[in-house]
Amino acid sequence: MATARPGWSRRAQYGLFFSFLAAIAGLVIGLVLLTLSLVAPEKYASVRGIALDTTAPLTSGLRQVTATVGGVFTGAGNYWDASHQNAQLKRERELMLQRIVEAKAISLENRELKASLQLREHSRAPVAMGRVVGSSFSSPRRYAIFSVGRSDGVAVGMPVRSAKGLIGRVIDAGSLASRVLLVSDRASIIPARILRDGQPVISQGRGDGTIDLRPLEVGRNPFKPGDIVITSGTGGLYPPLVPIARVVRLDDDGAIAIPLADPASTSFAMVEQPYEPQAVAEEAGGSAAAP
Amino acid sequence: MVRAALAQNRNIGQGPIPGAACVPAISVMAACLLTALPIVSTSGWYPDFGFLMLIAWRLLRADAWPAWWAAPLGFFNDLMTGHPIGFSVALWTATMLVLDLIDRRTMWRGYWLEWALAASLLLANETAEWRVAQIMGASLPFASVVPPLVISALSFPVFAWMAARLDRWRLSR
Repeated sequence: MATARPGWSRRAQYGLFFSFLAAIAGLVIGLVLLTLSLVAPEKYASVRGIALDTTAPLTSGLRQVTATVGGVFTGAGNYWDASHQNAQLKRERELMLQRIVEAKAISLENRELKASLQLREHSRAPVAMGRVVGSSFSSPRRYAIFSVGRSDGVAVGMPVRSAKGLIGRVIDAGSLASRVLLVSDRASIIPARILRDGQPVISQGRGDGTIDLRPLEVGRNPFKPGDIVITSGTGGLYPPLVPIARVVRLDDDGAIAIPLADPASTSFAMVEQPYEPQAVAEEAGGSAAAP
Repeated sequence: MVRAALAQNRNIGQGPIPGAACVPAISVMAACLLTALPIVSTSGWYPDFGFLMLIAWRLLRADAWPAWWAAPLGFFNDLMTGHPIGFSVALWTATMLVLDLIDRRTMWRGYWLEWALAASLLLANETAEWRVAQIMGASLPFASVVPPLVISALSFPVFAWMAARLDRWRLSR
C-alpha cells in the first residue's frame, strides 16, 4: 500500500503516484464544492435535505432517552432544596396573581381601544409543531435539527418559536426534518426592542449560546441586568412581541443576554409563516439584485 | 527471530478479519455519525469526531487507506455535520497530503510528536471553520476557537487509543 518508499516495484510506484494524483484531484474538487456552497448555497438544498432525512429519525428516536436522563438529573436537583424553593415559589405566585389581574385589565382595555380604532388582527396559525432533536456539535455556527420538514409544510425562511421565546429560523428543509439557525448564531441578526421601555435594539448571536445586544441609537447604554428583549417585527420575518433573551451582563455599549428559549430543554416548538411574506420576498429580491 | 518462530504457534489460522481494509474508513464514518446523537449543544465546543478519528488513523499508520479516500469520507462528514459542502472534502484531503509530506521529513515518531502534530492539525481545522463561518457572515473573534481546540486536543488520545484497538482487532494481533 501507500508507503513513502515503495521500492523497486514499478506497479507500487505507479500506484503511489496515481493515489497522490487522485488526492490532489480530491482536494481541487473539494475546493470547488466549497466555493460553490459559499457562493450559491441553495444549489445543495436537495442533497442536504436528503442527508437530514436519513439521520433525523435516529436522532429523534434517541432524543427521548437523553431527555429522560437529563430530566432525572434536574429532577433530583429540584428535590435538593425543596422547602426553600417552596416558600420562594409561593411568594412569586402571590406576585404573579396580582400581575395577572393587572394584565387582564390591560388586555381588556386594549381590546376596547382596538375595537374603537377598528384595527384588524390577523390570527396566526402555526405551520407545524415539532421538537428540537439535535444540534451542530463542533462549529462556530449554531444550528439545531428540528423534527418537522417539508411534508409538514415547513419551508426555508420560516421563523421558529416555542412557548418561552424565539428559537430561530429554518435554513434547510428536508421532507422529514429541517435545520434551524438559532438566535445565538452569529449570522442571525434580529431587530428587537427592550420590553421595559420599547427602545429599538439589534440582537446578534455570539456563537456560544449567548446573544449580543446593541442599541440602535448611540449614547447611553439603555440596558439593565434582567431586561427582557422582544422582537420588534421590523423586517417582516419574525412576528413582533416574541421574547428573545434576558440581559445578564452589561458591556461598554451594549449587553450580553441569554436566550429565553433554551434549545437544549425545549420540548415543543412551532414553525410559523413569515410575519410579512411580501416584505421578506421584496428584501430577498432586492438583495439578490443588488450585487 | 528463530526463538519466535519456534515458539508455540498460537496464531495459526488467525489473520486479518474479512474486510479489514475497510475498517478504518468505516470507523471514521461511524465517528461522523456521532453528530446524529440527540444532544443539543449551545456552545459548540464538542470536538469534530470524524476529523479526530481520521487523523488518529492516519498518524497510526500511513496505509490506513489511499490518500484520496479522504475526499469521499469528507463529503460524508459534510452531509452529516452540516458544514458547507466541500469543506471537509478539501480539508481532509489536504490533511492527508500534508501528513504524507511530514512523513518524509520526520526522523522519528513518538507519542508527544504525534500529539503535537494532531494539535496543529486540529488548530488548522478550527481556523478553517472559523474562516469559513466568517465568509458566510458569522464573523466571531478568533479567541472563540480556543475552547473547542483545547477540548479536541485533549480528546485526541482517546481517539488514538480507539484507532489502535481497532487496528489490533481488524488484523487479529
